[in-house]
Amino acid sequence: MSIEVKNLIKAFGERRVIDDVSFKVEDGETLAIVGFSGSGKSTILKLICGLLTPDSGEIITSEGDIAMVFQYSALFDSLNVADNIAFALHERKELRRKYSEEEIKNIVAEKLELVGLKGIERKFPSELSGGMQKRVSFARAIVTEPNSILYDEPTAGLDPISSTLIEDYIVRLKDETHAASIVVTHQMSTITRTADKVIMLYNGKIVFHGTPQEMLEQNNEYTKQFVTASLEGPMQMLAENGEG
Amino acid sequence: MSSLRRYYKQSATYKIFSGLTVELYRFLETLGQIALKGFETAKYILKGQIDKSELIEQCRRFGITSLPITLSIVGMTSIIVASQVALEMVKQGGGNFVGLLMTILIVREVGVIMSGFAIISMIGSSLASEIATMRVTEQIDAIEVLKVNPVRYLFVPRVLSGIIMMPPVVVVASAIGVIAGAVTANLTSGLGYRAFFDSAWLGIYMKDLGVCLLKALFFGGTIALISCSCGYYAKGGAKGVGEATTKAVVWSFVAIVIWDMFFAIAFFF
Repeated sequence: MSIEVKNLIKAFGERRVIDDVSFKVEDGETLAIVGFSGSGKSTILKLICGLLTPDSGEIITSEGDIAMVFQYSALFDSLNVADNIAFALHERKELRRKYSEEEIKNIVAEKLELVGLKGIERKFPSELSGGMQKRVSFARAIVTEPNSILYDEPTAGLDPISSTLIEDYIVRLKDETHAASIVVTHQMSTITRTADKVIMLYNGKIVFHGTPQEMLEQNNEYTKQFVTASLEGPMQMLAENGEG
Repeated sequence: MSSLRRYYKQSATYKIFSGLTVELYRFLETLGQIALKGFETAKYILKGQIDKSELIEQCRRFGITSLPITLSIVGMTSIIVASQVALEMVKQGGGNFVGLLMTILIVREVGVIMSGFAIISMIGSSLASEIATMRVTEQIDAIEVLKVNPVRYLFVPRVLSGIIMMPPVVVVASAIGVIAGAVTANLTSGLGYRAFFDSAWLGIYMKDLGVCLLKALFFGGTIALISCSCGYYAKGGAKGVGEATTKAVVWSFVAIVIWDMFFAIAFFF
């Protein structure tokens, strides 16, 4: 139930967005990937879950599903909450055979309860707040009992209290599922509250690898600049950031 | 040498040819994407991997919601044509051929092609923008991450509904067109309904009806496939959705005219 990335390289056109990146996330562990916009964080998630193919390198994941919580939830707006959560159970042949409609209904209710949204099955995504949409997307992600969960900026655009709630759910889901988790984030609170390990990317390369505590100690020029949000330092914003 | 190259790159000839090359590349790319998705969709249809509830929903959308606009356009086109020709033909002693002319025109061409245009503007644009929005809001990525094939989930019910629903829509629209033609001929030239329908039957053969239904089937599938494909490959945000929708409409218009030409050559040349 782990994710291992070895010497991963991905380029868009001439530009290497991911340049020889390696790391490992054990089961029950959460890794935070931080860095500037355009440093390749989201690209790593898309490579791991198979939405992009690497130019070279290896991604080793244990058998089973990889779930992803998207930055803007990516709920299906033509389906209600229950159908969103049950989407994979209805559409995947092996899961459709495995569960009856009654069982699917119970699974949906159970997952909704897990993310603290009991009784909203009939609502549509447009009727929910940003934080609620995010929690529904959590419920949809874990419905197939995944071995790994990827979060793409889970607290982006949320108020501080909703962010705290989401961070709590990330920790709770890790404890419940014991899955290997990767969280792409810019937010310090998300890093300190959810992550066991942190890697920092700059120009597609890992420039820091350590614990959240080590990151806050600011012994590294890159993390120091990131934590203090300083314009002075080794990391310079590129005019064209490209793929995030 | 390099200054010569720079000078050449600034010339109008270079700009025209490079522009044409880019357009040709984009044309071939779109054609390839549509063909690829067409093969994938056909594979799932032939394997019988069809979501029946989604198919019924798409058939309702394709057939029922498009009916008012389709009937209006075909009916009004018939009124325009009949009001232009009926009186003149009656004056020239050709009153007995008004029904025949109108029916051949509607069954062979107007009914199916105008229904096609109506469906492109109403259903094709809506399919393309719906799927393009799903693409730019990462909903299609979510489908893939959940290990559901987006072609099977999105393309198959939509393309199949186009194939199933276009022929009945065209039949109803053509019937309305013929009736509208008869009423208009009667009102503008005083031509009796009996005379109109007696001549109408003379010029219509089973082959005409068969070709009409076959064309409708091809048009329906083509419109749905092109619209879904243009939406699926959308890029960017709101601008990308707009571009995908425009592309779907333009390509569908051109495609059904090309199909129509092939059918005309194959069956009536």
